[in-house]
Amino acid sequence: MSLLSQAVVSGVLAGGLYAMMSLGMSLSWGVLKVINLAQFSFILLSAYFTYQLTVSLGIDPFLSILVCVPLFGLAGMALQWVFNRIRISEFESLLFTFGLFIILESLAATVWTADFRRLSTEQNPYVSESIWIGSIALPVPQLAAFVAAILVAFGVRHLLRNTHFGRAVRALAQDRDVAVAFGVDNGKVSMQLAGLAAGFSALAGVFIAMSRAIFPGLAVEWFGIVFSVVILGGLGSTLGTLIAAVIIGVVGAVATVWGGPPMAPLAVFLVLIATLLFRPEGILGAARRDT
Amino acid sequence: MNIHRARRRPTGSLTGAIALLAVLALVLAACGGDGTADTTAAASPGTTTDGGTETTAGGTETSTGGEEAAGDPIVIGSTLALSGPLAPTAAIHKVAGDLFVEQLNANGGLLGRPVEWVVLDDESVADQAASLYERLITEDQVDLIMGPYGTGAITAAMQVAERYGYLMAQHTGSLTYAFNYGCQFPAWPTGRYPNVTNPELVFDALEATGNPPETMAFVINQFPGTMFVAYGYPDSGDAQDAQGAVSIAQERGYDVVLDVQFPLTIDDWGPIAAQVRDADPDFVYLGGLGVDAPNLIAAMDALDYQPAGMFVQWPAPGPVLGAGESAEGVLSVTAFEAHPPFTDDPENAQIAATFEEAATEAGITYAEMETQASASWAAWQTLVAAVEGAGTLDNEAACDYLVNNTIETIFGETSYGTEENNYYGDLSYVKQVQDGDWWVVYPEEFAAPDHAIEYSPEG
Repeated sequence: MSLLSQAVVSGVLAGGLYAMMSLGMSLSWGVLKVINLAQFSFILLSAYFTYQLTVSLGIDPFLSILVCVPLFGLAGMALQWVFNRIRISEFESLLFTFGLFIILESLAATVWTADFRRLSTEQNPYVSESIWIGSIALPVPQLAAFVAAILVAFGVRHLLRNTHFGRAVRALAQDRDVAVAFGVDNGKVSMQLAGLAAGFSALAGVFIAMSRAIFPGLAVEWFGIVFSVVILGGLGSTLGTLIAAVIIGVVGAVATVWGGPPMAPLAVFLVLIATLLFRPEGILGAARRDT
Repeated sequence: MNIHRARRRPTGSLTGAIALLAVLALVLAACGGDGTADTTAAASPGTTTDGGTETTAGGTETSTGGEEAAGDPIVIGSTLALSGPLAPTAAIHKVAGDLFVEQLNANGGLLGRPVEWVVLDDESVADQAASLYERLITEDQVDLIMGPYGTGAITAAMQVAERYGYLMAQHTGSLTYAFNYGCQFPAWPTGRYPNVTNPELVFDALEATGNPPETMAFVINQFPGTMFVAYGYPDSGDAQDAQGAVSIAQERGYDVVLDVQFPLTIDDWGPIAAQVRDADPDFVYLGGLGVDAPNLIAAMDALDYQPAGMFVQWPAPGPVLGAGESAEGVLSVTAFEAHPPFTDDPENAQIAATFEEAATEAGITYAEMETQASASWAAWQTLVAAVEGAGTLDNEAACDYLVNNTIETIFGETSYGTEENNYYGDLSYVKQVQDGDWWVVYPEEFAAPDHAIEYSPEG
C-alpha cells in the first residue's frame, strides 16, 4: 500500500511538472491559435539559463525564476509581435516555430555543447530534499512545480474570467475579427498573453533544471507528453491542462508500479484515446471560452 | 457580416519570413548533419617519426619513412550522433577522433598522405546512420570508414560496410553476438560474452570484500546492450549468450528481490525509486547508461533511501559525481581510467593528458579519458594499424592484416580472431566513486594506488 501511495503521489507531482510544461502551449494554441513549438525551446533554454546562473553566480536555482520568467516572457512577446505582423495562420505557425525550435536547439548545442549538464547536489540541494507526510515523500522540486502549476492554472483562470484583459482574450479566442471590430487591441492583448505563456514555459524550465540532467536533444522528448496533456485537457483550458497532466502523471506512475515502466506510455495513451472517444474536445474543452 | 480587416495581410512578408527561417533552420540542423559534413583534416602536417611502417602503442606515431604527409588526402567517412539523445556521449567520440586525426597528420599522416575525417550527423537514428554510410561509400566514395557511436547505429552501419566490403573499426557496440561480419573490429574490450564476464567481474569484486550482499535489485534500461548484459540473448543458440547478470546472480545464490525494466528515456523516476525502497535490497544493479544513475540516486534520496551498494553499467561519469555524497561507493565498469596503472605507460599518459585538454576545450564536463574516449582512440588505432600494416588502402587487405596480426592499442596487445566475432577478451575493471572521483578498485593489480573496493551490506 505504501508503494502504491508513494507512486500515486509521485504521479500527481510529476503531473504538476507536465502541467507547467504544457500551460504555455495550451494558451498559445487554444487562445492565440498559434501552435508554438518555440515553447519547448523556451523550456529548454530556461533550464540552461538556470543551470548557468546557478553554476556561474552560485545563486539558489529558485532565484533564477526572477531572471528567466521575465526574459522569456519578453521573448514570447517579441515572437508574438512577429506573428501579428505577418498574420500567421495556425498551420503556418507550426512550420515557422518548428524552424525556430531547430535553430534554438542548435544554439543550445553550440553554447553548452551536446554534453549532459546537471546541477550538482551542492549547487542544488533541493534535488534530494523532500517534505514528508507520514511515510509519503514529496520531493521538493516536483512539489514546487506542482504548487506553481496550481497557482498558474487558477490564477490564469481568474484573470481570464474576472478582468478586462481576460474578457478581451476570450473575445479574441471566440472570434478575432469581431473582437477587433469591437475595439479589442489584438496586437497588445495577444502579445501580453504570449508573454504569459512563454513565462510559464520558462518557469517549467527552472524546475526541469532542478530535477534532472539537460542536453539539447531533451526538448524533443517532451513533445509526446505535452501534446497529450494539451489535447486531453482541452485547448486553451488551464484548469483542463492541470487535470489532464495529473491524470497522465498518476496513470503513468501506477502503470509503472503494476506493470513496469514500459507499461506507462501504453496506459497513458490508452487513457488519452479513450477520453477523446467520449470527449473529442478534451476534458474541459467545452470550457474554452472561459478557460 | 462583412468585417473590415484592421490590416491587410502582408503575405509576401510571411512567405519571406518562413522561407528565411526554414533556410536558417536547415543550415543549422545540417551543421555536421546529413547535408553538411564536419571535417577534420591535415591543416599543416607537422613532424614525422622515423619508425618505418610500424604502428606504435600510441597509434598516432605512425609514419612511412619520416616524410611529411603529402599528396591527396585519404578520406575517412563516418557518422556520429551529433544531435539527439546519444549526442552527449558521441561528443566524446568527436573530440577523440578530432584529436587522433590531428595528431596522425602531425606525425606523417597515413601511408604518407594526410587524412581527412568526414563526420555526418546521424541524429542518433540507426536508419539515418545506414543511409549516410551508404552515401559515404557510394556517392562520396570515401577511402575508409570509421564506425559510428551507439549500438543501433553500429549495427545498421555494419550491414552497409559488409555489403561493400569495407573494414569497420567500431568504438562501443555492445551486441557482441550479432556482429558476425568478419571485417568489423570492436575496439571496446568487452569480450564476446560481456553478459557473462561483466556480471562475474562485479560479483567477484563484491565477494572479494568478504562481506557480499545477500539480496539484489535489478533495474534495467531497455537499451539493447544493457538488456543483453542483464538477461543475455537466448535466441542466438549459444549457451553462453543465454546467461545474464540476473541469472548469474541467482546461480551465485543472491536473492533477487526486484527485477524491473524501464524505457530508454523516462521522465518520472519516483515510482521506480519507490519500488527499490520497498524491496530494500543489499545491492542495486542498475543496468543503466547516461544519466540513469544520478536520476535514480536523486529519486531515492528524495525518498530518504540509500541502498548499501549500487552498480551502474555504462554511466556518463560526470553527472554521477555530481550526485555528491549519495554517489559515494557507486560501482561501474571501465576499460581505462586516467590514473596509474593505466597511465604508467608514458605514451598512454600523454594521450590521456592531451585528451583531457582537448575535451575541456570542447566543453565536455567530465574531460578525463575513460571508457568511451579510450575505446574511440583504440578504434582509430585499429584502423590505422590495419592500413599501415597492409600498406594499402584496400579494405580487404587491411582486414586480412588485422585478422592475422597482433597490433598495439591503448589497451595493449590486441589479436583479433574471427571465431569470436573479433572480440578479443574482456579487459573490464571495476571502478568506484571514492572521495568524489572515479577510481579503479578491482582487480587488485589494476586498482589505483591506495584504493580498494569498499562495500558492506550494512551500508
